[in-house]
Amino acid sequence: MNLIAQTLADGLVLGGIYALAAVGFSLIFGVLHVINLSHGILVLMGAYLALIFSEALHIDPLLCIPPVMAVLFCVGYAYQRFLIQHAVDRASVNSMLLTFGVALMLQNAMIWVFSPDMRSITPSYAFTSLKLGPVNLDAVRLSALAASLILLSCLAALLRFSPLGRVIRATAQQTMAARLCGVNVRHVYALTFAVSAAFAGAAGIVIGIILPFSPNDEGGWTLNAFVVVVLGGVGSPAGALLGGLLLGLVSTLTAQYIGPAFPNVTMFLLLVLLLLVRPNGLLGNAFAPSR
Amino acid sequence: MSILTVERLSKNFRGLAAISDVSFAIAAGSITSIIGPNGAGKSTMFNLITGYLPLTAGEIRFRDKRITGMATNRIAELGVARAFQIARPFRDLSVFENVRIGALFGKAGPRDVVATTHRAMELAAIASLADQPASSLTVGQLRHLEVARAIATRADLLLADEPCAGLNPTETAAMIDVLRQVRTNGVTVVLVEHDMPSVMEVSDRVLVLDAGRLIADGSPRVVANDPKVIAAYLGTPDAA
Amino acid sequence: MKRNPTLVFLLVAVAVVVLAAGPLYLPPFYVRVGQLMLYSAGLGLAWAILGGFAGYVSFGHAAFIGVGAFTAGLVEGQFSSLPPFLLLPLGLLAGAACCAILAALIAYPILRLRGTFFAIAMLGVSHVCAEVTNNIDFFQGSMGLNFPPIAPASMDPANFFYEIYLVAALFILLVSWQIRRSRFGAGLLSIREDEDTARMLGVPTERYKRLAFVVSAVLTGVMGVIYAHSLGYITTDSVYRDDTNLSLIVYSLLGGMGTLFGPVIGAFLLVFITQVILGRLLDFHLFATGLLLVILVLSAPGGVAGLLKKRKRTAT
Repeated sequence: MNLIAQTLADGLVLGGIYALAAVGFSLIFGVLHVINLSHGILVLMGAYLALIFSEALHIDPLLCIPPVMAVLFCVGYAYQRFLIQHAVDRASVNSMLLTFGVALMLQNAMIWVFSPDMRSITPSYAFTSLKLGPVNLDAVRLSALAASLILLSCLAALLRFSPLGRVIRATAQQTMAARLCGVNVRHVYALTFAVSAAFAGAAGIVIGIILPFSPNDEGGWTLNAFVVVVLGGVGSPAGALLGGLLLGLVSTLTAQYIGPAFPNVTMFLLLVLLLLVRPNGLLGNAFAPSR
Repeated sequence: MSILTVERLSKNFRGLAAISDVSFAIAAGSITSIIGPNGAGKSTMFNLITGYLPLTAGEIRFRDKRITGMATNRIAELGVARAFQIARPFRDLSVFENVRIGALFGKAGPRDVVATTHRAMELAAIASLADQPASSLTVGQLRHLEVARAIATRADLLLADEPCAGLNPTETAAMIDVLRQVRTNGVTVVLVEHDMPSVMEVSDRVLVLDAGRLIADGSPRVVANDPKVIAAYLGTPDAA
Repeated sequence: MKRNPTLVFLLVAVAVVVLAAGPLYLPPFYVRVGQLMLYSAGLGLAWAILGGFAGYVSFGHAAFIGVGAFTAGLVEGQFSSLPPFLLLPLGLLAGAACCAILAALIAYPILRLRGTFFAIAMLGVSHVCAEVTNNIDFFQGSMGLNFPPIAPASMDPANFFYEIYLVAALFILLVSWQIRRSRFGAGLLSIREDEDTARMLGVPTERYKRLAFVVSAVLTGVMGVIYAHSLGYITTDSVYRDDTNLSLIVYSLLGGMGTLFGPVIGAFLLVFITQVILGRLLDFHLFATGLLLVILVLSAPGGVAGLLKKRKRTAT
């Protein structure tokens, strides 16, 4: 009984983090219709930046979130505006190829700079844990989860209530109409990407404190994000949360009951199953016109 | 001999009767036009015949074979071809390669493919464009390509969906000529059209649909003078 | 190509003869580069049957390289007492069969996906195969798999594998050429252009897609088996590589997506650039592949063939 409760709890914690790690990808897919294969790289950038900041400035890694998000916001804006935008103008596969190429380049650059060794960020409260009923939750994982949920809510609030959020949603739903209303679509796209990159970076920090990371993980995080989007739906933090939680649970349950070699296999099978049955995810496309 | 028989055909879209109780028979080797005001159900009719949409009631027979409820590609295999108003060419392939696909996967035998392709291109008056990529064709030429590709399948019935839409008078005349040629070569043609002069000139028979019902069925002259048809298009003097 | 098939034939024949005589006049470094060029060309051609002809761009074909390689290694390991010249055919058969079965199994669900979804699903397949190979001891992915030497004693193994790659690449080129001029090939092209219209014209789209998928997988696996033998020892990371996944696409992009010789031109070019021009900077060539792809996508999405076409059009 305890084992199942613990596994489920671990799954939910992991799921919250997966959700944060995927929400940026989901937003780009929903608004720009671009599959950003360099998403994993942006996540890792966040992790490595936090590593640098927290070690250099001796601050808690979670406090690095604002500066890292700021840096990645700028990087994301420039990346979309000056690079990806040109590929988007042609065929849809082109943006995938472009981002895949960038991912390969940056992955190698990271290997040169940081070496392929696994790193991790160890916050000061690393070895404390809380007991909630039958379940053990360590402080780091809990704070990671809390950070994820807070950030997801912030994004949801941004999209729903802020002027920027409204413009993003309008552009996603009816691009031509938005243009005709005077929206500078390229700028909005770049802002969306910037927001997405910022959240990817934040996710990297959260991941960095609970899991060891290395440049070789980037493909895995991108694929993870894709699965979360397929599971939960495109374009909304709620969809990302739902997809993330599902994925987290499937991962931990598989690892515990079938074998540690199998979480990705199960995830992939789940992905294929869902793509066949409900390609728009459980919550559907947040920007699609309602019937 | 009627090549296509439609009996008491009805199609409802959740309460809206798009087609109501329509019956007609198309004679083999003829050119029939279906006309009617916008929203009368003309395109729906084509969609029902080709199996794109399931019907609500009625029967459709092609060469005495019941095709009601059959899958679209099965109906196509039997010999019903469709040329769309919004042409869907294979853009990166040449005109010849486009038409060849029709011939390869239609009823022509493997040895007749090239000959069938050339014949279809000639009938559709695009033989001179054979090596050009489809992406370089004008709208009018694309319509010809649609027709060529359709008849390359050696279909017996061609359903042409507004082939003259958006074409200037010269292009329209060329298209009508093509349809005549197609008919001369033994393919029955049914077209949906708005261009009245062309319809009157080329059709053996005209069917008039209005709000899903067949309100007239006869030779062009008779139909043009039918008061019901005039009312459908222009309204009656005392309509409120 | 249609203009003068005899000329093309002659050119290819001459090229094959020149290439086959390579080991006689090329220094050892260039023989190895030649191996890589021919290996890449064969892979590119195999990939292009699905990606170039049918338009189903797979981001995960390395899966079949790995499956072919590991199957061959494991099967050959069971029959290690066989004489060397029988081992390679056995491995090829086993690898090809396994790829065929895997492809046939996943074809049904995966080919229902279009465009970007298909691309990523294949990337997923590649990663899953890598993981399974790595984590399950039976496959020896993490420990590594040995391949006994099979080159005849009289021949330098490098030259031997060079010729084997040449034969294999030529075989795949012939298969590719045959497909392209057949009814099957015409059907694949129509699927790439407009799958729904193709179906309405009577093309058996589902059957053709599956066939292209299986053929592509098997040919890729065959190359993978040869590759494993030429390395002599493989681990998961030697064969299941994301940069390979990417390169296969780049070959067609560079040389011309959907053309017959495009993948060959692209493969030769890319290998030349990364191995010869950037050869000293060993760490750099993965970075360079990525960079080249970025530049390509931004400037010439039609590849070399596209650029040539454009020049012809502006000239007339």
